[in-house]
Amino acid sequence: MTVIAIVLKELAHRKWSFLLSLLAVVTAVALFVAYFTTAEASQRETARVTRDLGFNLRILPKNTDMDQFWADGFSDQTMPEDTVGRFAKYENVFLVYNHLVASLERKILLQGKAVIVSGLAPAVVAPAQKRQPMGFAIRAGTVLVGFQVAQRLGLAKGGQIELAGEKFAVEQCLAESGTEDDIRVFGLLSDVQRILKLEGLINEIKAIDCLCLTADQDPLKILRAELAKALPETKVIQLRAIADARAKQRRALERYAAFFSPFVLVVCAAWIGVLAMLNVRERKIEIGLLRALGYSSNRIAWLFLAKSAVLGGVGAVLGYAIGSALALNFGPEIFKVTAQAIKPDFGLLAWASVAAPAFAALATFIPAMLAVAQDPAESLRGE
Amino acid sequence: MVRFENVSKVYRTRAGEVRSLDGLNLEVKPCEFIVVRGPSGCGKTTLLLTAGGMLHPTSGEISVGGQALYSLNRRERAVFRAREIGFVFQMFHLVPYLNVIENVLLAGSSACVRPNSKRAHDLVARLGLASRAFHKPAALSTGERQRVAIARALLNQPKLILADEPTGNLDPENAAEVFRHLEDFHRAGGTVIVVTHGTMAEEYADRVLQMRAGSLNGS
Repeated sequence: MTVIAIVLKELAHRKWSFLLSLLAVVTAVALFVAYFTTAEASQRETARVTRDLGFNLRILPKNTDMDQFWADGFSDQTMPEDTVGRFAKYENVFLVYNHLVASLERKILLQGKAVIVSGLAPAVVAPAQKRQPMGFAIRAGTVLVGFQVAQRLGLAKGGQIELAGEKFAVEQCLAESGTEDDIRVFGLLSDVQRILKLEGLINEIKAIDCLCLTADQDPLKILRAELAKALPETKVIQLRAIADARAKQRRALERYAAFFSPFVLVVCAAWIGVLAMLNVRERKIEIGLLRALGYSSNRIAWLFLAKSAVLGGVGAVLGYAIGSALALNFGPEIFKVTAQAIKPDFGLLAWASVAAPAFAALATFIPAMLAVAQDPAESLRGE
Repeated sequence: MVRFENVSKVYRTRAGEVRSLDGLNLEVKPCEFIVVRGPSGCGKTTLLLTAGGMLHPTSGEISVGGQALYSLNRRERAVFRAREIGFVFQMFHLVPYLNVIENVLLAGSSACVRPNSKRAHDLVARLGLASRAFHKPAALSTGERQRVAIARALLNQPKLILADEPTGNLDPENAAEVFRHLEDFHRAGGTVIVVTHGTMAEEYADRVLQMRAGSLNGS
């Protein structure tokens, strides 16, 4: 009788034991495949979420008095509006940004109290970014009113507000933000430039860049040196807390992935190993009998290794199918923004087809060799 | 055929040492039918396992057919066992997922012996199991299972059969049948050593040995 014939008969006889072992291999492979199939989406999703925490670079007119800037929340100096276009051209030169928003802000009195009028230009999106960023999209002649201003003036959507003698339709009253945005009125940059009589001027560019990825290396120093040469009319400040939080979040995700992957492997490996040991233990008398009948240790080991190969091979294919199905079905629900990154990875099938049988064989090999190393009489007494 | 020279076997347990064979000497001639009797725990099974090359003695020498068993390495001993010795166990030790013929052929599937399917079928028929040839052990009676074990022991035409309480789980009728098959083998020129605490085997024996505390007394 051939080794494979004996193996197949044993598998058919011990169906539940086989199914339990198969379940271990399938679970291990499925978890691993599902995890890696969604890994890229997970990383991109995290990048998006952290990006949306806010801007992390503020580019200001060179001659801004920083005491005034921090006291008022905006620069009282201006720079040409085309600065944003020139800044954008340095993408991939000494910086990489995600998107840029030029703005002009001034404090005005509205019914005796100060509000900040904020004119926002449409976002300049980096060429590599395919989508428009989430945020305000303001139409000409309309404004978005901060919570405190709306409360004080009794404004609601569809109402009107007069700014520097010009009337604007209230497009939206914003929810309470807990920041100075609550006393802001947001309008289109060109509208705000017109009412402030500052056409063609801005006083800030807010930017999301990728410097957070190298936050440990103080990218601000490099950026300031480069900007001093390229855009001498500007200076830059970085919102360190947000940049650092973003870098920490990404590093945390990487550490989590580095921990989770081997953890899944170790748990499933232990599971397969325990089942392999139980199988050998269950078959100890059989091992003793085969040795009594003159089977060599190698031939007996082959019986177990061939079984592991069958188990690992079937488990790898089923595990890959189930893991991919789980990732494709549930991944888009979890990672809504980056769902398109989730697709079957056939490289994982090749990997699983080699690793699962090899590991199952290794897990079986050790207890099997321990069993065949005993005198046959010891094994026959195994019951 | 079988020679024990001052053989001792000591098991080391947590409770202390257990001396299962104690300087045992024995010579079994070719074509002899030996029955070893004795109470449980007197060392009968250890005697049989050491004679079959399945359990290293602590000291002394054992030879079968002139071959010093434990001077062979594990692989050589496995080959020698497959060719020269047949085993019959009290618990039958049939492989549960193989049918009768496959269980018998298992003895002929080791690398050192060519499987002989015709002989397997002949043996199964001779032992009255032809109608059960493709049944699994679970579907057989205890008597039938022991006859399968005897067929398996006979497949490679060994010179020696070692039987450990072969009728311990059988009714008198089946037990007598088992001994008749062992006697057939003996009459055909084979050597048989049976260990048992029953008395039925004595009527087939050339010699009955009494074992007590790891030593033998002839009778």
